[in-house]
Amino acid sequence: MVFDILAVVVNALTWAMATFLVAAGLTLMFGVLHILNFAHGGFLMLGAYVVFAVARSLGGELSFAGYLAFSVVAGLGVAVLGLVVDIVVFRRLRGVDNAYVLIATYALLLLVEGVVKHIWGAGSHLVSPPEVLIGAFFFGPIVIPYYSVFVIAAGVAVLFALEWFLHHSSPGKLVQAVAIDPWMATLLSVNVERIYSITIVIGFGLAGLAGGILAANQGLNPQLGGISIIQAFGAIIVGGMGSVRGAFLAAILLGLVDSFGTMLVPDFPGIFFYVALAAMLLVRPKGLIGAEVTR
Amino acid sequence: MTRLSQVGLPQFLAILALLAGAAVALPGIANPGIVFLAGLAVIEIVIALAFNFLFSTVGILSFGQAAFILVGAYGGAAAIKFAGLSLLPALLVAGLVAGLLALAIGVVALRRVEGVYFAVLTLAFASLAYLTVGKVAVLGREDGLTGITRPAVDLGIVEIPVVATTSFYYFIVAVGVVLTAVMWFATNSQFGRVLRAIRQDQERAGFLGVNVQGYRLAAFVLAGAVTGIAGALLGPWTQIVTPDLGHWIQSTKPILQAMLGGAGFFWGPVVGAILFAVLTYATRTLVGITEIVTGGLLLAIVLAIPGGLLGLTGSLLRMIRRERSR
Repeated sequence: MVFDILAVVVNALTWAMATFLVAAGLTLMFGVLHILNFAHGGFLMLGAYVVFAVARSLGGELSFAGYLAFSVVAGLGVAVLGLVVDIVVFRRLRGVDNAYVLIATYALLLLVEGVVKHIWGAGSHLVSPPEVLIGAFFFGPIVIPYYSVFVIAAGVAVLFALEWFLHHSSPGKLVQAVAIDPWMATLLSVNVERIYSITIVIGFGLAGLAGGILAANQGLNPQLGGISIIQAFGAIIVGGMGSVRGAFLAAILLGLVDSFGTMLVPDFPGIFFYVALAAMLLVRPKGLIGAEVTR
Repeated sequence: MTRLSQVGLPQFLAILALLAGAAVALPGIANPGIVFLAGLAVIEIVIALAFNFLFSTVGILSFGQAAFILVGAYGGAAAIKFAGLSLLPALLVAGLVAGLLALAIGVVALRRVEGVYFAVLTLAFASLAYLTVGKVAVLGREDGLTGITRPAVDLGIVEIPVVATTSFYYFIVAVGVVLTAVMWFATNSQFGRVLRAIRQDQERAGFLGVNVQGYRLAAFVLAGAVTGIAGALLGPWTQIVTPDLGHWIQSTKPILQAMLGGAGFFWGPVVGAILFAVLTYATRTLVGITEIVTGGLLLAIVLAIPGGLLGLTGSLLRMIRRERSR
């Protein structure tokens, strides 16, 4: 029984870190620009497909270093797209009602889905993880897949990188200043527009990177963008919109609730995530860490 | 964009008669495949009108309308299949079930969360309904309910059989006309004017003695019930209901249609739904092109012509008039 529970915890943590990887860029952008970006899942999917395309053109197998390198390349590529999207879309919607911005990002998601379907087809593809990540090791009687360890490590690494950036680097501190009070930041001669662009580029870059890292986590199909974005929405809302730490904690909380729920009521997998999300929103509408400020 | 077109009753009836006439004439000139899609389009028009009523008149952004389509479709299908009800009572059951769900969601959620939070909360509730329905054995799990018949329309004095595809299509058009009228009266009656006052300034409306939360809840329940009734038409029309009716794509479709046509106009969702149906039909063989075209159009509309197609036509007409008067 104890070992069952530990296995469920490993499972939950893997899910949680995969979700946090998606949510990290999303919550950063929300904290600074108050944009809830539906298209985030779409650009994540684009990153995953880029890694898939590279792996296929290189004969299907990537080494661990290659896999990481191309994930970073996917991140950079999507970051450049982020700059384009900022110029073409987000800049023109500053000051427009949030509902319209949400709808615009949904339109972007549709567009990306269409492009993915058009290039790679509507069917499913598989990316095999690099050879060193295939298989599992035994921690006592519990089986822990190497790929789970990789995803969990990647999630923790992104958390620390973002935390360091926001709290210990000077551009990160400017991002925080703009998130807290853009008007005051303008008075202090901060180029707020540039900070917005930097945030969007980082947010999109994180989406592309997460897409690369998670490419082998599940089958690739054009629905991936929509599925991952809803889980990430859950994490950032429960965590408190805009809070990176909150999203991290919320992803773990939601992962545990969902995994244990599924263990106890196996007939309804996946439902406890939404139950927890709805309950959380009703009890604490502003989330665990209840301020819309990146911290 | 916040202005709902102030068309009077005669103008409304004229446009409604024109649209209904076109819909009724369709089976005479088009093949059965197109008539089938037109029936779906009429259902989608009602769903989009109900969404836009919430969005533009009440100021509520719902990303979970699929929940009401889903429970309406299953409610209607179960009423026909298991209870053997005739068509109109089955639609009533669907409206009731969807209305009750809207009441439940509205009571717990409307007061507490606003704007984007409410949008995501409705998305969560709809996903919950989607996943739950797909696991219930009586409702056929993932496979849904199949073999749903088209019982007669029992009007008390006469029973009208609507088993034939064309007859049922006319029935859909008739229900569509009635529900469109319901949405128009809800928008343009005193009820609608109070809702618009609330949307513009909740606090001031409250100071004037308006029961703000009561009105918002009533509007949410009305939109839910209308969406449910429209959803109930799907079962007998397609002869199957599946959990996919509750997929979040079904929630975003009415948003898309309302924006395409022009969310600020009563007829906007109608124009949008028709255009969407035509686009989907025209690009049906090209994988991915449907999404690219609709996504691109939607983006262009949000960025360049926030009034949608009707808004664009309106400003073009005004420009032409100004040129003439020079």
